[in-house]
Amino acid sequence: MSQAAVGQVVVSVALVLAAIALSWRARIGLERELAVVSIRAIVQLTAVGAVVTLVFQHVGLAAAFVLVMLGVAAWTSGRRIRAIPHGPLLAGAAIGLPALLALGLLLAAQAFPATPRGIVPVAGILIGGAMAAASLTGRRLLEELHDRLDEIETRLLLGASAREALATPLRRAVTTALVPALDQTRIVGLVTLPGTFVGLVLGGASPATAARIQLTVLLSLLFVELTASLLLAHLVSRVVIVAGERIEVPQAQARYGA
Amino acid sequence: MTPALLELDEVSLSRGGRVVLDRVTLRVQAGQVTAIVGPSGAGKSSLLRCAVGLDRLDAGRVRVDGHDALELDPRVLRRRVALVAQHPVMLPGTVADNLAYALPAGAVDGEAARRSLERAGLDVSFASRVAGELSGGERARVAVARALTRDPVALLLDEPTAALDPARAAGVEALMRELAGLGLAVLVASHDVAIVRRSADAAVLLEAGRVTASGTAADVLDAWAGRPA
Repeated sequence: MSQAAVGQVVVSVALVLAAIALSWRARIGLERELAVVSIRAIVQLTAVGAVVTLVFQHVGLAAAFVLVMLGVAAWTSGRRIRAIPHGPLLAGAAIGLPALLALGLLLAAQAFPATPRGIVPVAGILIGGAMAAASLTGRRLLEELHDRLDEIETRLLLGASAREALATPLRRAVTTALVPALDQTRIVGLVTLPGTFVGLVLGGASPATAARIQLTVLLSLLFVELTASLLLAHLVSRVVIVAGERIEVPQAQARYGA
Repeated sequence: MTPALLELDEVSLSRGGRVVLDRVTLRVQAGQVTAIVGPSGAGKSSLLRCAVGLDRLDAGRVRVDGHDALELDPRVLRRRVALVAQHPVMLPGTVADNLAYALPAGAVDGEAARRSLERAGLDVSFASRVAGELSGGERARVAVARALTRDPVALLLDEPTAALDPARAAGVEALMRELAGLGLAVLVASHDVAIVRRSADAAVLLEAGRVTASGTAADVLDAWAGRPA
């Protein structure tokens, strides 16, 4: 092992152990989760490192790899809206449509080479961003539906349609979900140097080229995340709005009069 | 007997496998105050919810002015039959915003707002107050004014005096009589025996989701008082 590799392993493992110790000392209760996600990350990245060489050599394998990414993202995000029937399916649609649309546009415009090496990393970033937005939207929307059901029912009682009654919770969920994407774009270059940029520079690209590619990804992500968030909010609201301008929230008791 | 303005016919409702209402029949006449009395958890609030289509009935039907409620646009039904919750929620914005919510632009002008506020016992200056900053008693009155801007034919009140001091409770009592005098059908769920005895023309006793007595307010209250606790 090279000197750099030894340093990487020793320091990163030491810092994870320190985080676990801190969580235990401060009684946060995240020790187990910190350990599990760290081990998962090691296993996943090692496995990807092994197959990525293969994936980069076959278009068919690359496409399959993108589908696996989408499946995992849909499943992860769907778990955040477990109360909603077919959560992973709704999340998959909300994540997949905007991510694949943006990917298709970028490839059609030849912004990235239509090769496995071009497709896989960009698809990963777009799907990852869409997943984060969908998860946050779903989680916040369910919180709104549970915590503010009496406000929503008040709107219904005053003669609003179910769609109108849900407009405010929907807007709150979407604006909350977009905060990370907006902040990430706002501070780019000032606080963070994002992964694509760093990777390209380390790989030998000029900083100007790296910045251009990073910007393409970052600005595309604004569309992808907003669309994923709106789509998920729309799909969830279609599930909870039932005939007769009523709203039925799964696993929720109507607040008023229940 | 004149046809009732609001009729609930053999209405049944269950929630999570539990029977909440069991074949409840109720008639509310225009120009009268009708009371639903009974112990907590008997289904009084649920009955009011069913009348405005907030819960899906397992069986039975609701009629408004002779029309099956299912044939009415739910948005129209909820304006004509206005339900004021026990703890009314104020929507964001001013009292004027609350009065005009979900109504066509311009439907609630200054004059309409003043009339509704005054009927609910509030000064017109309340229109510009921030709704979220009102006290409990003020909210209750704004909620009544908010219902009245929709020109309802029936007003459903859930425990309207529960959070009020005696003076304010007397105000609500007078308001119910006044609205009934204007021809509205007033349906009030309450376990305040004194107020029901004084202000209601008719009453039903609801126990464990079933109507166990109905008739004049005095008869029904006597029947309830005679029950073993």
